[in-house]
Parts: sequence; structure tokens; C-alpha cells
Amino acid sequence: MHLHKFEKIWLIFGIVALVVFLGVVGITAFSHDHTPSGGMDTIDPEQVSVTAPFDNPGVHQLDDDTYEAVIIAKAFAYEAQELRVPAGKEIIFKVTSTDVVHSFTIDDTKVNMMVIPGQITTRKYTFSEPGTYLILCNEYCGTGHHFMYSEIEVY
Amino acid sequence: MEKKQEHEHDHLDLRGTLFSVMVVGAIIVGMWVVVYLMYMGR
Repeated sequence: MHLHKFEKIWLIFGIVALVVFLGVVGITAFSHDHTPSGGMDTIDPEQVSVTAPFDNPGVHQLDDDTYEAVIIAKAFAYEAQELRVPAGKEIIFKVTSTDVVHSFTIDDTKVNMMVIPGQITTRKYTFSEPGTYLILCNEYCGTGHHFMYSEIEVY
Repeated sequence: MEKKQEHEHDHLDLRGTLFSVMVVGAIIVGMWVVVYLMYMGR
């Protein structure tokens, strides 16, 4: 196949750009240990409130550097005790839904999880800055979707 | 022979096309870099 000189230039430009983009994303994902939120953990959505750890929602300290935040999402609120976590410590968010698909999104962070009834979604995150962060649902979950928000305090 | 002549297009002036492709490419690359930096900044 014969290509014009300029055609070769923009084809090489496009291919190099694609390789660089995918390479950077791949290297970043592996070096930061990025994985999709959630896993294979399942739960009976009708038994959430009596199934550990969701029978005691809230923040629990696991060890000196790790905390667990257990949260139940339901139309149209996040059920948990006071959400206060320290900055600089790893927080393991465990979230599930008792009704429909929600999301658990913490504004101004990378925490953006789908919350699916019957599944436990897990995400690790370390806050670097103290402050009050907005938690919101960005999956349309019903007529009260726009009221579904909460806050987490990082101290 | 006829087929080869059909694909010969070295005589075409593609400077304008090259410029357009590079401008669009630069915009895409710039936006990708900005989005990547925003993601890494969180």
C-alpha cells in the first residue's frame, strides 16, 4: 500500500499517541495498585442489617494505621454512625445497598463507587487533607435522588 | 499497472489536511494531559 508522506506522519502521530496514552495509564494503574471497586463479596440485600459488618455501620479502627468505614446505602440516605476519620490513615470503605443501585462518591477524591444490592463494594482511600467532604449519590436512584447526600469529616 | 496508478496520490497537496490533523491531535493530547493531571492531583 502506498501512502503519501503526510499520511505516514499523521498515522505515526496517532499510533505513538495511542501507545503513550495506554502505556501511561497502564503503568500508573499498576504502580498505584489500582483495582476496580468491589470484588466478589456478596450479601443478601434483605438481611443487610443483621449481617456483619453491616449490623454495626460506622467507622471502626482496625489497627494503628487502618480504619474501616461501613455504610449502608438506601433510598435516599447513607446509613452510618458519625463518619469521622483521620487524615493520613488508610480508610477501607465497605458499602452495600438494600434496595436499588446507588453510588458512593466522595467529592474532590478518587472515591467513586457503584453500590449494588447484593454486593459489597470496597475501596481503600487515604485522605491527605483534613476537612469536611461531601458524599453524594451519582446514580439516579429514584425521585429523592437529589436528597441523597451526606458528609464525612476528616480530622 | 492501472491499479497502481489509481492509488498514486503523491501529487496531492495535503498540507492543509496535515495541519488540521495536527491541530485536532494537539487538542486531544492537551486535554488528555489535563485530565490525567487532574486525576493524579486527587
